Amino acid sequence: MSADHELPELRDLPVPTPPPLSALLESELAQLAPVATRRPLRQLAILVALSLIYGTGIVVRVAIRPDLHELPMYWLLGVGLAWLIGFVAPLYLATVPRTGAILPRWRLAGITSVVVSVLFVCLGLLVHPEGPHSAHLSHFGRGYGCLEVGLAAALVPVVAGAIFLRGALPVGSRWTAAALGAGGGSLGGLVLHLHCQVVDGLHVGLIHGGVVGVAALLAAAVVPRATDLR
Amino acid sequence: MAEARDLMQRYCDGEAGAFRELYALVAPRLLGYLLKMARERALADDLLQQTFLKVHRARTSYVRGADPLPWIYSIAHRTFIDETRKHKRAVVRVGDAEELPEVPAGLTGESEDRRDEGRGDPELVSAALDALAGLPAQQREAVVLTKLDGKSVAEAAEIAGTTVGAMKVRAHRGYEALRKTLGRPDEPAKKSTGGAP
Repeated sequence: MSADHELPELRDLPVPTPPPLSALLESELAQLAPVATRRPLRQLAILVALSLIYGTGIVVRVAIRPDLHELPMYWLLGVGLAWLIGFVAPLYLATVPRTGAILPRWRLAGITSVVVSVLFVCLGLLVHPEGPHSAHLSHFGRGYGCLEVGLAAALVPVVAGAIFLRGALPVGSRWTAAALGAGGGSLGGLVLHLHCQVVDGLHVGLIHGGVVGVAALLAAAVVPRATDLR
Repeated sequence: MAEARDLMQRYCDGEAGAFRELYALVAPRLLGYLLKMARERALADDLLQQTFLKVHRARTSYVRGADPLPWIYSIAHRTFIDETRKHKRAVVRVGDAEELPEVPAGLTGESEDRRDEGRGDPELVSAALDALAGLPAQQREAVVLTKLDGKSVAEAAEIAGTTVGAMKVRAHRGYEALRKTLGRPDEPAKKSTGGAP
């Protein structure tokens, strides 16, 4: 005997007859009403719009960096665009499934959140031009403030994403949540890019870039409680 | 019979009959999968009901036009995992292994009302089920999905929430373990009877 003989036997077993629907299901069906199903692209559009409005509000509230006009335009726009992509790409993968599927592309979303987290730390460490009114880091206290602002900016994308995906993820919820966090963290990075005038590589890399990783980790730890199917 | 996605859409539109049709279409296959995973008819039935209850509660997360089958299988997979964890946490010590009563394995894959219908060699089936039950849960699931339920590796990976590569490895290891187990079930017996010339 070997698996080559037994497995076809198992494969050919008659299909079992399922039990009738449970009383609970029957009672649920008795009051069945039409429901609005998930529309991923619409949800993504709402998520992005809501988050950007919130992010703009934070920038206005904490003030735009005073050295903005002194910094190279290519850097301001290029890095700003990178933050925007880092914000939208993970959110897209976390909320929009491929055509014909229900579950989001959580594997790709997870990979993207790791890549984005590392990329922004490296980018900040390597490229950080300065102007006459730029500031330098004198103590670590400044870092805490930036981390706080960055994480506060990540709050809306993560919470709104979790609401949109609540009860929708039987598998891959942690990776999807990490992507929501990475997206939110990137919005936080964009806010800091426009707000913080500290130009030390360590600060820009580890704090501004680090916001992405911290937000992703926090989201991965907390959000599955809302998105897991129970 | 209507396709699963049409039934799911009609069900989301509030048609209870569509849910019943969907259940009739999907439940037998899903029950077969759960039976092979749980090896206990009562538990598999319970998991099936739980799965459909979760499908019902999560129907707002359905995306119109999508095939609901991988999603429903994922929910069943998750329900099975959660149930297994619950059972592991609820272990009750009842004494030494020698004191435990021998519990007959009740699963043969068929329902009571179809027990007499023709199927393969019961000995082979029983041996295969025993060997399957001896595999770690992840390998068992990989073998059940890819070798028995006819799912592609990609579909199985999506259902189990893992990568295609990991699913391939699990299925291969599971299959190899089955081959090893089933390849020499008679050896100890032969040795004990001293049948060698």
